[in-house]
Amino acid sequence: MNNSVNENLRELLVGFMDEAAARQTAEDIEKGEEILGANQSPQPDERVLAEVKKNVVAALRQRRTVVFQRRILIGAVAAAVILIAVITQMHYDNLQNSRQTRIVARSVSIPSQVWEGADDADVTVLRAEIENIQSELSGAQSDSISTGGTNSAAGDLETELIEVNGDMWKG
Amino acid sequence: MAQRDIEQVIIGCKKGDEGCFTQLVDIYGRRCFGYFYRLTGNRDLSEELLSELFAKLVEKIGSYRGGSFDGWVFTMASNIFHDHLRFKQRQTRLLDEHSKRIMSQSAGVSSGKNDDFDKLQMALVELDSDVRELIMMRFYSQMSFKEIAESRREPIGTTLSKVHRGLKKLRELMG
Repeated sequence: MNNSVNENLRELLVGFMDEAAARQTAEDIEKGEEILGANQSPQPDERVLAEVKKNVVAALRQRRTVVFQRRILIGAVAAAVILIAVITQMHYDNLQNSRQTRIVARSVSIPSQVWEGADDADVTVLRAEIENIQSELSGAQSDSISTGGTNSAAGDLETELIEVNGDMWKG
Repeated sequence: MAQRDIEQVIIGCKKGDEGCFTQLVDIYGRRCFGYFYRLTGNRDLSEELLSELFAKLVEKIGSYRGGSFDGWVFTMASNIFHDHLRFKQRQTRLLDEHSKRIMSQSAGVSSGKNDDFDKLQMALVELDSDVRELIMMRFYSQMSFKEIAESRREPIGTTLSKVHRGLKKLRELMG
């Protein structure tokens, strides 16, 4: 046993017992350890130590290989993540573009679909109203032509032309 | 080996230097074998545990954060010994019985070369397993009582008392 470890043994023991008991205890410990020192355990064979060294070197190399493989794996995973992110982004962009196109197409196609739907009651009512307004407008126009002072000559001329035209067809 | 040299070896080991690990086996191999042998009394098993210890050292050297390296190594050795006992017995209360059986078997095999050695080994069997391990830890690791108490997480007075009681009994048995 090396002396440096035992240097403060008595000083250490005094904290737990009186001086005489500490001296006796320290002596017991030292003598006991002397017995251990005098009866050394058998030494391992050099073959065993060489085997341990060989195993240690093998474990170190295996560890290095594992670390290297782990780094490659991490690199591959990182590359895969980046690739997936890029593909996802591209796919998302395409999806956005096609959605916008579809929205435009739908906004163009909606009116024709609505107006072509003759069975729709609302559309029929709307169409009837428009025709009514058109006929009222044309009626108003013809009234203004027939009653307007400044435009009467033109109206007459137009009436005459219509009559002429009718005659022409009549032969 | 000087403390500075050991520190260099540890630094080399942390870097994964094969030569430094080989030096570590030279420094601690015999002491750790002696520790395992005195606890198990079985040469083959001690060699197996020694090999396991150094495999563990390769794996865990990065976790060493200073302090007593001897203490760190022997705490690991103690854990490996306890893992072995747990693996073999599964029950702590059978520890004494197990050690006695192994030691008595080994005493029969290795007798004849050194009568004093056999006497010590047989005397050690008579000690309480915890005290025996504590005495072996103290002797082979060369740790101070304070360090041992810290590694075992027990008051230093308890450690001193156990070692004193154990060594006194050992002296009587070796009479």
